[in-house]
Amino acid sequence: MVLSFFKGSSGEGDFAPIVTRAVTMLGDARHSFDLASMVLLTDAEASSVADDVRATDERINQAEQELRSDLVVHVAVQGTADIGSVLGFTLLLKKVERIGDQAKNILELAEQGVSFADSSERERLFAERQELSALFAEAAELLNASDADTDAITEYTNRANVAVAHYQSKIDEFMTSERPGHEVVPLAIYYRFLRRIGANLVGIVRTSVAPLPHVDYLDDGATDTDD
Amino acid sequence: MFVVALIYAFLVGVSSLESGIKIMGEDTTERLFSAAGNPIAALCIGILGTILVQSSSASTSIIVGLVATGKLGVDDAVPMAMGANIGTTVTNTLVSLGHIRQSSEFRRAFAAATVHDFFNVLAVAILLPLEVFFGIISSTAEAISERLVGSAGSEWKSPIKAWVKEPVSWLKSFWEAVGTSGNLQGTLMVVSGLVIILLALAFITKNMRSLVADRVERSVNAMLSKGGGAAALVLGLVITIAVQSSSITTSILIPLAGAGVITLRNAYPVTLGANVGTTITALLASLATGAPEALTVALAHTTFNVFGIFLLYVIPLARDWPILAAERLADVAVKRRTTAVAYVAVVFVILPLVGVALLG
Repeated sequence: MVLSFFKGSSGEGDFAPIVTRAVTMLGDARHSFDLASMVLLTDAEASSVADDVRATDERINQAEQELRSDLVVHVAVQGTADIGSVLGFTLLLKKVERIGDQAKNILELAEQGVSFADSSERERLFAERQELSALFAEAAELLNASDADTDAITEYTNRANVAVAHYQSKIDEFMTSERPGHEVVPLAIYYRFLRRIGANLVGIVRTSVAPLPHVDYLDDGATDTDD
Repeated sequence: MFVVALIYAFLVGVSSLESGIKIMGEDTTERLFSAAGNPIAALCIGILGTILVQSSSASTSIIVGLVATGKLGVDDAVPMAMGANIGTTVTNTLVSLGHIRQSSEFRRAFAAATVHDFFNVLAVAILLPLEVFFGIISSTAEAISERLVGSAGSEWKSPIKAWVKEPVSWLKSFWEAVGTSGNLQGTLMVVSGLVIILLALAFITKNMRSLVADRVERSVNAMLSKGGGAAALVLGLVITIAVQSSSITTSILIPLAGAGVITLRNAYPVTLGANVGTTITALLASLATGAPEALTVALAHTTFNVFGIFLLYVIPLARDWPILAAERLADVAVKRRTTAVAYVAVVFVILPLVGVALLG
């Protein structure tokens, strides 16, 4: 503790340790999502991954709390010059934490007996799972980049928003479908979780480069930030 | 380099203050320091003086400079240094009032601020009588000082005093050249010394705070993950020596405590470490004088804080006293916010003024 005072700075900037841990949290969130969605789409037992998913979620929650404390310390010690970044990171960490929760929610679907292993849409669901999982990795890379590549971020955001719009269209489809409720309701719920995860990933990437405008409260209420 | 220059300026200020007092006439200095003859009045002078300059480092450095002149005795100066300990806590108490609108935050922040007050007040309550009747602190400090630089009344060849001699004589010549002499010249030397001390310390603190901010942040984060205890105490000491201000160290803790990031029990040892760390400035100031008595007073300030830590932190039974007192006062202050304002006014202004008026 005292020795940390005498250690030299890494020279990577004030928020580098926070970014590093946020990237680790994102990796954990991806791990949770991959496991939980795998159980839903295969014959695997939910109990086989439940402990892992829940432990990962706790790890994400704890990291979020610790990093929030670190941000408070940053403001107390360094002042409020970079309060925008502090607020942005607070929001970013909250979004990662929510993804962890949403992955756990997917697991809970499986624990309640829902399974898409025999569904006719199984292949498409797998493809969507892969696509969303890949978005995690790309978000982590963009977050970790030392210089913000605005073109890459814009391209990622556009792609992710297309995915989110697709998930929403599936939800709309199931809401008005003639198919039995026990078939479409779990699918609608699952797609809602995918939509939330996608929206949070977009929010994470955008918040990392422009915290205040993309907190979204500056567009006169046009954007709903609840995801 | 800029900080080194500022430290040099600070030492010039202390030496100038000492020179100014020596130039003044016997009657003047006797009138100036007569109030300090009563230990309670001296304590109150220490409180008020520290509140005035908003820095215990500055006030104790001034006290050291005054002792070096021989006009202020060690016995009179030790209660002043104790008063400086109390006076400096007004800063973080005022910082805690910034949370006054949010009850839960205010409770935590105010308790974190006043635990410092209660420690200092309890330490004075225990150690001031022991000092007055048995000289426990001054004799300990004197024993250390004798080993380091020789006995009281002698003069030791301080290399730092030699380094600052030239600018002080320039200042003296300047005031002579504008036609002043005697008490006026002495007063102007004292005022110049005070201005230099205060400005130098203010800039040192400002610069050091920027320079070490990343390190402070890193070590505070490390402390939060590992808890309090002796390591937290040492951390408070190290940070305060680095930034040359106990107020900065303790003021960083207040918003953290208010936000619930650090508990009162974990903040407390950092505060105690800051108390000891701030005594380094007076020790530095004593090096700019040639008087062992000056070093004795600086060491007395350190000794007082160390003894206080031993009595009110190391001994488990007493460790909770300042914490419980702070929590009780915070509970009252949350229910009635005017209590907090009244507390500051009474403890830091009214009582010390009454003390000086009645006993000085």
